[in-house]
Amino acid sequence: MAANASTPDRKGRTNDRGPRRIDALRNLVYQCNRCGQCLDFSTVGQAPKCPAFEGGLYESYAARGKFNIARALVDGVMDYDPDIAERVYGCTECRACAQDCFKYLDTTGMFTVLKEDLASLGLVPENLKEGLHGPGGLDETHNVYKAPHDERLSWLSDRARVDQPAETAFFVGCSSAYARQNMSVDTAGTLDRLDLEYTILSDEWCCGHPYMAAGELDRAGEAMEHSISQYQDLGVRQVVFNCPGCLKTFKHDAPQVLGQPLPFEPLHILQLVARMAEQGDLYFRPVDPKITVTYHDSCTLGRWLGIYDAPRTLLAHIPGVAVKEMPRHRETAYCCGAGGLIRYDYDQIAGRAGEERFREAVSTGADVLMTSCPACLMQFQQVRSKLRSRLRVMDITALIWNQMILPGEA
Amino acid sequence: MDELLSALTGICGRDRVSDKLADRVCYTRDCGPSPGGIPSLIVRPISATEISAIIKVANEYRTPVFIWGRSTTFIGNGIEEGCILLALDLMDEIEQIDLERKMVVVQPGAVWHAVDVELNKMGWELAVPGPGGMFSCTIGGSVAYNAVPHGLFEYGMTGQHVIGLEVVLPDGTILNTGSGSNEAAGHLHFERYANGPDLTGLFIGSYGVLGVITKVYFRIRRIPAAERFAFYGFDSYEQAVDAAKGIQSQNAASHLVGLFGGPKPANYEQHDAFLHIVVRDSEPAAQERLRVAQAVCEALGGHPLDGEATRLYWTGHMYSWLRNTPPAHYYGNRPFMCPEVAGFMPTDSVKDAIRFLREDAIAHAEEFERYDIRIKCYDVYFSTNAAFIWIDTLYPELEDDAWQYGLALRSRYTDELCRRYMSPGGILQAIAPEVMTKLGTGFDFIKLLKRTLDPHFILNPGVLYLEPEVSHGR
Repeated sequence: MAANASTPDRKGRTNDRGPRRIDALRNLVYQCNRCGQCLDFSTVGQAPKCPAFEGGLYESYAARGKFNIARALVDGVMDYDPDIAERVYGCTECRACAQDCFKYLDTTGMFTVLKEDLASLGLVPENLKEGLHGPGGLDETHNVYKAPHDERLSWLSDRARVDQPAETAFFVGCSSAYARQNMSVDTAGTLDRLDLEYTILSDEWCCGHPYMAAGELDRAGEAMEHSISQYQDLGVRQVVFNCPGCLKTFKHDAPQVLGQPLPFEPLHILQLVARMAEQGDLYFRPVDPKITVTYHDSCTLGRWLGIYDAPRTLLAHIPGVAVKEMPRHRETAYCCGAGGLIRYDYDQIAGRAGEERFREAVSTGADVLMTSCPACLMQFQQVRSKLRSRLRVMDITALIWNQMILPGEA
Repeated sequence: MDELLSALTGICGRDRVSDKLADRVCYTRDCGPSPGGIPSLIVRPISATEISAIIKVANEYRTPVFIWGRSTTFIGNGIEEGCILLALDLMDEIEQIDLERKMVVVQPGAVWHAVDVELNKMGWELAVPGPGGMFSCTIGGSVAYNAVPHGLFEYGMTGQHVIGLEVVLPDGTILNTGSGSNEAAGHLHFERYANGPDLTGLFIGSYGVLGVITKVYFRIRRIPAAERFAFYGFDSYEQAVDAAKGIQSQNAASHLVGLFGGPKPANYEQHDAFLHIVVRDSEPAAQERLRVAQAVCEALGGHPLDGEATRLYWTGHMYSWLRNTPPAHYYGNRPFMCPEVAGFMPTDSVKDAIRFLREDAIAHAEEFERYDIRIKCYDVYFSTNAAFIWIDTLYPELEDDAWQYGLALRSRYTDELCRRYMSPGGILQAIAPEVMTKLGTGFDFIKLLKRTLDPHFILNPGVLYLEPEVSHGR
């Protein structure tokens, strides 16, 4: 039920501040009963849940606080300002608050609406704004690394598949196109070994997630539409991702932003490979020497997309790999701190969360911290370097690519 | 205000004091329906020493201090506009788990269930399972409000298991209670009833009006070997209350919950009232006590139902299972406010209370319908010798008329039941006038204590309706 923005509130005040999207969410905002279950993973023990709140900041950074701020906004107690922007954009979008919400509220949906209002008021934090709209930014280069667009496929040696009609496509994503190209190589190599006919776009743009994170949904829609229309032209019916963020942008956000269902099935490379391993269409050679790994559930792959089993299924199928779970895992996994592009402006929050999670991984005694998201991978590599840790950090696709054997192979 | 900010910053540093409105609006109210004022400053201390200094500054500036754990109560904190908000979330350490003295030493901001889970990993547990808000409420708050816990039947109230406290008094003095008050012995906490009067008890259930709890010494025990569950439906609420009395007299439960109103458990709509029975004990004792409880229920007309709902409620701590319903659908998605009328009464009086509530709902059916008032529950936790009822009449919070009607209904129920026999556990700030003024000399004595310990009414003023005319010397 959308409240009319001009409806007087309980104290007789009317909102004459112009159209703000948050005013339409009064009903949702009032549903928060302030129980505080969004603050801690108490079912795991003394374990923080919200990276921003745990970072020693005020409740205003956590979900309960942001609902209080939203209530103050719709009740006319305060109006948007840079302090609110800092609290809203300081969120890693890990979605732990939504998962454990006592009232099952769409907390992150409400945060997006706050961002839309803030963006319309020009209150996007400076570094993020510059990364999107500044020289060499996303608007210009269609990637978040300010790298030339024509180098997006520089990691690809054989371009025979590029822009070819196919039922399957590999969406590369900015991070594995520019920052962690080994992930692209491993993913494409895996698809090649599986003998899948697939295509890659030469004019692939960023999925649009950074615009979503900024609250600029129209621009996000343009970015999504750019790839979707090309896939339609090529007859693509299934798109494989190795970045959970890109996958979530298409699977979760695109239908809402564009107002129509996706014309293809989006899935993560791990889902595809796990399915084949379970069907006996794929095997793995033993890892020698044996290793113990601890698997970090990316917030996006886990809480946003519900993919918890595929990585574990694969790890269970690889001889010589033992898995030791962290205390917070699967639904209660703690965020690595890299989500929501908060590193642009709130490096302290991101850094603290990353260190907290990395130390939790170290506490398991594992040899390898395994993840399946380029953002988590980069974050942990950075933290490892800072802490001078011996715990290795690895993307699970690399392990798959190294160890996979197809039936009939030696 | 600048001077006050400067003084508090001098104690805690700039990072732990905020005057930003975006922060301050987040510390105005608990889960209850009463809106509070906006504090002028949020301060987050990390030690009793810092709290002591903050309280002294507050006295100097005659500025009230409101204490904030996780604010998961329904009492309406009574936070005053312009106050100092003392947020204790950074004081959340488990300082010691002492298996010899069977206690855990915890800072007040530690979350109840988190502490319990840490103990569970060692095969131990807190001596009471915790209140309804256990997932997010704090140890300090639960003691300060003496929360009614799950397991009330066997384990009693939260406060019964406090061995000792460290408290900052309203003048900034740091006090240890019980055996811990022996300064010469190094504040050694192991026995509550030592060194004179039970000073620990003074601060339990006093809602922070007499002091700020800065450390809790709480009893722990081994997790019982066995848990057994049973669930019964009755054709009349009188039968169910009689069965509860029988179980009380036979000590045949660890936790006993009665359902006497609101939606009936799914699939069991044919019954009028229900009892959930939890028994925790050694294997043979649990078996035997459950057998006795079942015999009592069946002798009094109880129909055995599937005890899986009871097990899910107990192990998952989700009230929805009391009504045989998964949480996802039960907690709804509309902004309904729960005003929460609750209190203790003699077991036999439950019959009269349920009769009164049911008749009242019929008599006011037209108004209930007009304001969309929904009866969520008339539920009862039975203790070993009495009963604790909570009456949840929900109303739509966004409708102003309904909101007013809901609050009036809360006051009317509280007034009526307190005149008959009820004594509230949690005393809501908004209805404290209706409760406290019925206490007579008891109220006078509490006010005397407050005036003596806190002459400037610095700590949680207004809570418990102690001196509403005082405005902190301003």
